[in-house]
Amino acid sequence: MKTIIHDLGKEQNEKLLAAADQVICADGRYAPCQGCFKCWTKHPAACEMKDALYQSCRVLGMSDDLTVITENLYGGYSPAVKNLLDRSIGISTPFSTYRGGQMHHTLRYGRRNCLYIIAYGNISEPEKSTLKLMAERNAVNMGFRECRVAFCADAEEAGGLA
Amino acid sequence: MDHTVLINCSPKKKLSVSGFIMKCAGLMVRGKKEYLHLRTPADRERILQALKDAGKVVFAVPLYVDGVPSHVLPFMKEMERFCLENGLRLKVYVIANNGFIEGRQNEPLMQVMENFCARSGLEWCGGVGIGGGVMLNVERIMITVLFGLMILNMLLRGIQGENILEPVRSFGISVAELLVLCCGIIAFTVRLALHISKGTDAGKRYTRIMLPSFIFILCADIFFTIISVFQGGFFRGWFSRFKPDAGCSIITGKDQ
Repeated sequence: MKTIIHDLGKEQNEKLLAAADQVICADGRYAPCQGCFKCWTKHPAACEMKDALYQSCRVLGMSDDLTVITENLYGGYSPAVKNLLDRSIGISTPFSTYRGGQMHHTLRYGRRNCLYIIAYGNISEPEKSTLKLMAERNAVNMGFRECRVAFCADAEEAGGLA
Repeated sequence: MDHTVLINCSPKKKLSVSGFIMKCAGLMVRGKKEYLHLRTPADRERILQALKDAGKVVFAVPLYVDGVPSHVLPFMKEMERFCLENGLRLKVYVIANNGFIEGRQNEPLMQVMENFCARSGLEWCGGVGIGGGVMLNVERIMITVLFGLMILNMLLRGIQGENILEPVRSFGISVAELLVLCCGIIAFTVRLALHISKGTDAGKRYTRIMLPSFIFILCADIFFTIISVFQGGFFRGWFSRFKPDAGCSIITGKDQ
């Protein structure tokens, strides 16, 4: 299953569905993660806050391929996309292991295919470098075998790359 | 402009490790200091106004999904605009903490903060990335318990007419053993505080709790097992591949 997360606005959902099985629009209208870890300890793979992102980790976990379309912010994700990713740590379990020679959480949904990040906007060279590093780190953390990063100038172009 | 603003960026109300390390660093920073907590959008304006009189700002940030927590990002955008509009040239320091043992896992966060400084016309002065900082919470709880036991022991010994200084010696040894585990964090925090006081570039440094990683992993697994049992009982799908409920409202799918 292929999933696209994007911050392009809900009106882009139908268009993006041509390139994926399911689409999530990160509109930033969600509470941020509180760092309580109850999605690990109290009710695994479900957030303590019962809003629309309550089971976002399950959606992301079931995705073999994940494409993230985000506006660049200092070499990272936009606040809306980051909000969704922060609320999805239930994708892993609280227990730890070694992956890539470093400590990481074990994967609830196992190894998956590809994390593809499409960053748009005004992106400096250091920010491109940071985004590549961020994608590599996220891929290891979330259990993706492969990661790719693409850069483009505007949101319209970004939607076309998915 | 010797005024230093220290911002705890953890969303947690209590037991924030980032906030604790920030306060420890703050104790050693010379000059006027102001400690602020960034948890909600309501905190942003107060912090921005405090920056007007500041020369240095210290961000204490927990690592969330390899980056800055999402509630901090909108503040950084506002701060960028605020600093450019007001011509602020603050020196920026960062204390980053993550739940894994390797301090270097904070590197993407550090780079994001450096990029933020470049966009905002601020002076990036580096900081310290800490791995396994959560052990400091364990240590401060243990030191508090040991202190209580020492007082109790002294009282009992006093009543029995024995040497009341013996518990002090035992307490001192136990505390010293605990502090050895975080000697890297202490050393780099002191170093950072000295740089903040002088307003000099601290560079990026990484440190960790001084435990072998396999022991740290074992401790973390035991900790989460205990918490899981206390919060909800045994094996409620700790490893299950749960599927989202039908009609999960965030998804737009082909069959919907």
